[in-house]
Amino acid sequence: MNLNERDNLLRKIQAEDFALYETVLFLDGHPHDEAALAFYSAHRDTLEKLKREYTKKYGPLTIYDNGDSKCWHWIDKPWPWEKEAN
Amino acid sequence: MWIYEKKLQYPVKIKNPNANYARIIISQLGGADGELAASMRYLHQRYSMPYREVVGILTDVGTEELAHLEMISAILYQLTKGLSPEEIKRAGLDTYFVDHTAGIYPIAASGVPFDMKYVGIKGDIIADLNEDLAAEQKARVTYDNILRLVDDPDVRDPIKYLRQREIVHYQRFGDALRITQDNLNSKNFYAFNPSFDK
Repeated sequence: MNLNERDNLLRKIQAEDFALYETVLFLDGHPHDEAALAFYSAHRDTLEKLKREYTKKYGPLTIYDNGDSKCWHWIDKPWPWEKEAN
Repeated sequence: MWIYEKKLQYPVKIKNPNANYARIIISQLGGADGELAASMRYLHQRYSMPYREVVGILTDVGTEELAHLEMISAILYQLTKGLSPEEIKRAGLDTYFVDHTAGIYPIAASGVPFDMKYVGIKGDIIADLNEDLAAEQKARVTYDNILRLVDDPDVRDPIKYLRQREIVHYQRFGDALRITQDNLNSKNFYAFNPSFDK
């Protein structure tokens, strides 16, 4: 496993996730803002693609995407609070 | 990080508000053996656990407890919706109402607000898992007591579901303790903390 490649992909996911979350907070108070809705759609698609790639290469991000029929990788180390995970 | 899902884990649909029931069920929100204490206990114990299976169990049970916290809040919300000041007074909910109106504030049935003193985090896998096993049984007893005091089937149904989950969690923490004991040196597993001693 190339750790730098994993770290880079994780950084991209965190950045996209943050952009999306900021938009979500804004949309909660401005539910008809078309520019924010368009930003949300574009970034949601990008985030989904990145998460799919991460999951395929490095394992599940949620309990719903353990892809292996032989092993429950959800519990694999590192957990997010460990240095190696960041 | 966490993602919120906009649904209850199990449906709550109560036809008749009842301030008396709300007064006792609120203990499972903010009481010593309630769902807030449970979620805080497991989600904070995770960090010092040396085995990935145990970290997984604590993460996922702790997350489910947050869903149970929401179910208890939904029960309290529906039980107190549309009550008149007279009904609130008659049930003795007036001492809560004066401070919190119909807001959902975590207290025990006795009126004592939620306190992290209810939560044990020793940083020792044997001590913490035994705390968790006891906590699940205590929560199960509290649900049993609620079922002894509540007749309405609309309220009993989600309470029975929550009671059953305590039993399942007890079994999963039993797995966690067995995994721990299998991993530790059988001669010294009470004299050694694997997250600390190397």
